[in-house]
Amino acid sequence: MPFPSETEKKTTLDQALRGVLEAEIKGSCDDFLSLIDLSIDSVTEGICSATTPFLLLGDVLDCLPLDQCDKIFTFVEENVSTWKSVSSLFWVHGSLCDLLRRLSKSQNTVFCGRIQLFLARLFPLSEKSGLNLQSQFNLDNITVFNKNEQESTLGQKHSEEKEEGMEVEEGEMGDEDEPAPCSIPIDYNLYRKFWTLQDYFRNPVQCYDKFSWMTFLKYSDETLAVFKSYKLDDTQASKRKLEELRTAGGEHVYFAKFLTSEKLMDLQLSDSNFRRHILVQYLILFQYLKGQHILNTEENWNSWKNEGCPSFVKERPADAKPIRPTRKRPAPEDFLGKGPDRKIFMGNDELTRLWNLNPDNMEACKSDSREFMPSLEEFFEEAIEQADPANMVEDEYKVVRNSNYGWRALRLLSRRSPHFFQPTNQQFKSLADYLESMVIKLAKELPDIPSEEIKTGEEEDDDNGDNLLKETNDSPGIQHKLVSNQQMDEVAAKLGSQWKSLASQLEMKAAEMREIETESEDVDMQAKLLLVSWQDREGTQATVENLASALTAAGFPKIAEALTET
Amino acid sequence: MGPVELLHMSVFSQSFSPCGRFLAASNNYGEIAVFSLSSSLSPEATGINQKPILTFTAHEGPIFALLSTDAHLLSAGNGEISAWSWAELAKRNPKAVWIRRPQYKSSLEIPEINDMIVNCRDNSLAVGGGDNNIHIMDLETGVFKSVLQGHTDYIHCLSMREREGELLSGGEDGAVRIWDCRTGQSVHRLEVYKYEECARPQYGKWISCLTTDSDWMLCGGGPSLSLWHLRSLSPTSIFPLSGCQRQAMFYQDLILSVGEGHFLSHCLLGGDVKSLIPCSPPSLNTVALNTNSTEHRVLTVGGSSDQIDVFTNLSYKAFSLSF
Repeated sequence: MPFPSETEKKTTLDQALRGVLEAEIKGSCDDFLSLIDLSIDSVTEGICSATTPFLLLGDVLDCLPLDQCDKIFTFVEENVSTWKSVSSLFWVHGSLCDLLRRLSKSQNTVFCGRIQLFLARLFPLSEKSGLNLQSQFNLDNITVFNKNEQESTLGQKHSEEKEEGMEVEEGEMGDEDEPAPCSIPIDYNLYRKFWTLQDYFRNPVQCYDKFSWMTFLKYSDETLAVFKSYKLDDTQASKRKLEELRTAGGEHVYFAKFLTSEKLMDLQLSDSNFRRHILVQYLILFQYLKGQHILNTEENWNSWKNEGCPSFVKERPADAKPIRPTRKRPAPEDFLGKGPDRKIFMGNDELTRLWNLNPDNMEACKSDSREFMPSLEEFFEEAIEQADPANMVEDEYKVVRNSNYGWRALRLLSRRSPHFFQPTNQQFKSLADYLESMVIKLAKELPDIPSEEIKTGEEEDDDNGDNLLKETNDSPGIQHKLVSNQQMDEVAAKLGSQWKSLASQLEMKAAEMREIETESEDVDMQAKLLLVSWQDREGTQATVENLASALTAAGFPKIAEALTET
Repeated sequence: MGPVELLHMSVFSQSFSPCGRFLAASNNYGEIAVFSLSSSLSPEATGINQKPILTFTAHEGPIFALLSTDAHLLSAGNGEISAWSWAELAKRNPKAVWIRRPQYKSSLEIPEINDMIVNCRDNSLAVGGGDNNIHIMDLETGVFKSVLQGHTDYIHCLSMREREGELLSGGEDGAVRIWDCRTGQSVHRLEVYKYEECARPQYGKWISCLTTDSDWMLCGGGPSLSLWHLRSLSPTSIFPLSGCQRQAMFYQDLILSVGEGHFLSHCLLGGDVKSLIPCSPPSLNTVALNTNSTEHRVLTVGGSSDQIDVFTNLSYKAFSLSF
């Protein structure tokens, strides 16, 4: 028979250990704790499989009553380093979670807390399994309160009224209820509405349903009106209370769940901490609904989760500069502006101040306040006015004749005006003439200086510069002019019998054409009628331009040209 | 009662029943409404419970004063005092037990009665009103025993100083007079408007609210609401409330006051206004605390509206009863 292999040996030992534990389980804690210790040592020695301690632990925790589990857990806590080194976190987690499930959250709060703290320390911070990745709501968190009057143990004394027969609206509260008479009047209306709000905080998804949302709004309005009606003015009182609490042991008030008895309602409303809790609940709800930056830590938490929970270990920044020790006397670099203040000391306060307004000379020169070049408008305003023939300024007094002005004008034009660079065939006898022509061009462009009178003189200048533009642009005055009677007569005369070809361009219908034919025999007359009916139809659109383009399209370019020239 | 009448209704006075389960309120139409507090405070109360169980017309003109004795409800309106049995009212039977009228000098003009107070020592009723006098009536016999004269203008309010057996009255003439009930003489006369710290000349000098607990007195109206020490007859605290106060009362260590403005003011004895609790009527005339029952110990306020606000917790309005 061959020697048993290592694994076989290990499994044997595992089984043996478990068997012993089973036998010892009714014994005292210390016995099986030492057994588990033994198993851990065996793992370290390598004679036992790594999972055995955990199996043993799991068995122990499952079999023992809760009070003894406490001791086992202390053992687990003490040996936390062992668990980490053996790296079977999974097992530990599993058995501890089972234990957690068994424990009641409200009665064994301390024990639950210890287990959870332990788990939190055991796992790295970025461990995903401990997270509520999808931000789901704890739907089990139901607040219980007395919704139904009959469930209320605070019954009113109604028996005497019944005898006298006065109370009509009695309800079902009769003698079968044991009325412990309440000593203070209770506002049931507010009580019910207030605690119903907790259901909305528990499950904010309800807010998306219209009817629920309206109810929520109504109840919230009432509740907040009550809060507002009586502002708690006890900032001084609460400060004192906080100090008392701190001296008393430094523990904050903790409660697991709201107490919803009717009698407490009045006291709760007067408690500023309670109100704060409710208002924070509102904030959380709004955070969920709107995603605003009310609770920034929540935002950070959410975004961290969304990024896949990156590790929190900070890399040491490579260029971390050592902190400058503070010096008593200013170091030489400070003078030259390299110190932390970046101030250059000139030796004199006033000079320092002036220099440090902007220590960098180049930057200072670029600043807006050093922009001294005037705009075209400003500079040429006077010249434009003088160029206006209506003003009747004599040549020799025009500012463009001033050589100083002329020189500056040229410089400005070179910086600001595109006209300076346009090639022109015009010969200018003197700078003044050139400037005059430029002034006139500028006057056309600059919007707020009246320049209609200048146009009459512009045609000669425009010949060279604006030739390219002329064919497509009509002179501005004629563009929107309606066709006059005389023009129509002329066109009709020229069209003659060919008016039908124009008719199609003018979008005349066949019916209308027939009508025109029947109306008159004379072709000129027919042409005229055509134009008249076109004009009637177009109304304000019966412009020269439209007619000319129609004529050109119909094949009468000469008539079109003649029309536009009139 | 149509909507227009409801709109113009003002509640002038309230009184709780001796058992504490009912509230009677009077309005400017001469009606008295009886509300059942136990049904409106019960857990299953609905809108119907906030309506009166009985409404009846008690007087021809507005009823300015209501008062409850051990078994009766007294109401005073246009110059006459009527008494109703609470037991009968609870059974919804509005039948007057007696009606009396003080002796007025002229029979042409009937002065209204603005306030009434009971002197428990000798079981008498003091009424003050438009004829500038206080008439004392014996409740046993119904006879008007005496008239206290002294005010130069009509009387707004009355209050009783139990320990000393003195009656306090405040009137339109700005004077608070302290009367000895046995002798019928005016012992002191305080002209509140003459004290600079209280006076508010822009409102006038009339005193419309007066209450006392033997050592201290609260009075207000045209002048600011002020707390007076009766032994030294000097003001100790002035309350900076805007508007003229119409009724004030002591409650534990607070002073509750209502008047112009839609809020109930909580003031501290030192002169600070602790809080202003909003109410539904735009202006308030009367505030009453039900001390006759612990279960139904509520505070009710009424004013220029058909709504009477009920407070279970002094800091907010729980619900409203409506006429």
